[in-house]
Amino acid sequence: MSTNDNERISYLSGEAVDSLTAQERAELDELRTLLQTPATWEEPDAALEDRIVSAIADEARRERPVESSAAEAPPEPQARHRRRFQWRFPRPALVLGGFATAAAAIVVAIVIATSSSSPAPLQFAMVVNGTPLAPGAHGSATLTKMDSGWEIQLSATGLPHLANGRYYQAWLKNGAGILVPVGTFNDAEHVILWSGAPVTQFRSFSVTEQLANGNPVSSGRRVLVGIAHPVH
Amino acid sequence: MYAVAFKVLGNRGLAEEATQQTFVKAWRAARSFDEQRDLGPWLAAIARRVAIDVYRREAIRATDPLESVAPGDPALVSTPPAAETIYDVWEVREAVAELPPEEQEVVRLQHLDGFTHAQIAERLGIAVGTVKSRSFRAHKRLAAMLGHLRE
Repeated sequence: MSTNDNERISYLSGEAVDSLTAQERAELDELRTLLQTPATWEEPDAALEDRIVSAIADEARRERPVESSAAEAPPEPQARHRRRFQWRFPRPALVLGGFATAAAAIVVAIVIATSSSSPAPLQFAMVVNGTPLAPGAHGSATLTKMDSGWEIQLSATGLPHLANGRYYQAWLKNGAGILVPVGTFNDAEHVILWSGAPVTQFRSFSVTEQLANGNPVSSGRRVLVGIAHPVH
Repeated sequence: MYAVAFKVLGNRGLAEEATQQTFVKAWRAARSFDEQRDLGPWLAAIARRVAIDVYRREAIRATDPLESVAPGDPALVSTPPAAETIYDVWEVREAVAELPPEEQEVVRLQHLDGFTHAQIAERLGIAVGTVKSRSFRAHKRLAAMLGHLRE
């Protein structure tokens, strides 16, 4: 890094620097102004994310064709042509959370929108957020009813890779607080989990850090949480 | 997207409304989205249009006497911020969000709250030298991430 770069950084960070030109100061003052703008720091209400996912789920239900009557035979299940959406956001590790979680919600929406049309299997979607143990973590998941159970496709960033006897465990929980394990993994960037318990009843999702010490119960060290919302 | 909406509207409730509408509109347009594109700028463009629509709706709705309207009220301001300013705010917010939490806190206290290094040190219970080094590291990262804004 050049001396001038150091001087520019010092000026930006509030130090008195005499060697910068007026143009350099003006450029850096513009950046300072943006850092002073409340919009750079404002956080939305914590419930906004859920409202967005619910609004999108409502849209999906409105666009669904009218279901056939109970007397008619259900249609043959069609082969699902599911395109995996390639998340190409340039800076995924957003700590402030507002854009990231909402963007994760639209990733979920795009996955849903680009999947095959009716008759589609029962499906849920959710945004997942980090807890105080992992404040930078965020992502999304789809939960799809298949013949062998519920397939959960989770994509999350901001969680470190675990190894050497440490791993992640995913759970679903129902309204009575009953926990069901749905899979273990070392890295959360793209994980496929399975639940034999119905997501329609077990809609609270969490991921805990666990030790491979023979104790299967939840450690209580939750790093990622989310609530599944129906979209199909 | 909330930051984009807040920049235009300057009001939390309206910004949240605009943010929700942004994602619903984006969902409706999802099939037309080219997956080879970056999602962020596409969403930001929708957020800006939605926020401006809300801005104009509020400007038409306002009937209070001029003197009673708060200085930042959208109804009082004649035009929303320029597109370039809105996208700059979004870019800065992204860059700030990538800072480690301890550096982000120093930058926020320094720029948004206007504290000196000494005041930040006292507030956080750390040495002034630690504040200065965190500030320098943070601004070095920001300068690297945001240099293109001045191109």
